[in-house]
Amino acid sequence: MSEVQRRKYSQEEKNAIFDGEFMPHIDSMYNFGYRLTFDEDDAKDLVQDTYLKAYRFINSFEQGTNAKAWLFRILKNSFINEYRKKSKQPTKVDYQEVETYYNSDDVHYQSTSDLRAESVKDMLGDEISNALNSLAVDFRTVIILCDLEGFTYEEMAKILDIPIGTVRSRLHRARNLLKEKLQGYAQNMGYNTDEEE
Amino acid sequence: MNENPSGERKMQCSDESKCFELLESILDGELQDSGKEVLKEKLAKCQPCFEHYHLEQAIRDVLKTKCTKHAVPNELADKIRQQIQDIK
Repeated sequence: MSEVQRRKYSQEEKNAIFDGEFMPHIDSMYNFGYRLTFDEDDAKDLVQDTYLKAYRFINSFEQGTNAKAWLFRILKNSFINEYRKKSKQPTKVDYQEVETYYNSDDVHYQSTSDLRAESVKDMLGDEISNALNSLAVDFRTVIILCDLEGFTYEEMAKILDIPIGTVRSRLHRARNLLKEKLQGYAQNMGYNTDEEE
Repeated sequence: MNENPSGERKMQCSDESKCFELLESILDGELQDSGKEVLKEKLAKCQPCFEHYHLEQAIRDVLKTKCTKHAVPNELADKIRQQIQDIK
């Protein structure tokens, strides 16, 4: 992930890396872009922009290392540096604010909550997606990277430029928030009964 | 609620937030072998941990399998390749 230029690839090598290691991830990249922006055109722009940057800086990619994590990091940076600035509407909840709030004492998920594994299993895809989408972008991002894309904490730390400990605690908070949302759906849908039919 | 017929699990967890965070790390595959032992013990002895683990596992499963996936627009890959050609 270092930006240090290791060596120069030949044109042929560049093509091979681009086609063999970068392009296979276009599906994940597009979905990541979509889940960050909720907009097809913005997602396309982000992915396009990421691939152009990846090509331009291909010499700083070390062949055989994790191309997907490398690409995700570029996309995430493009999102923060360009998309967020460009968009007139800043993210509704500033992450710092959220983190401070959830770092304060006594704010932790109540295990007394009645949300049950059985209720969650019965939920529809739309309910799950909506719950995820309703989280502030920084919380949404860690869940996407971990649960949807299967990155390790170490990879996430590199993608997000934060320490592993922060990855762990942010994920924990993100999941608590997600559970609160799911709990809301469960109650609305009447899933949440003690009787198993 | 009587999922453990022997009734040996304690109903209160002495350090819930720490335990839950640990269980989540285990579910995320971060503790490997050392995690398995801890997990076995917690699930056998503590009802809140047992429930939390299964809830978290269910959430991970539905996230993985049910979240809406968006198909990549057909022309996107071609457009990218074209742009790369242009800057070569």
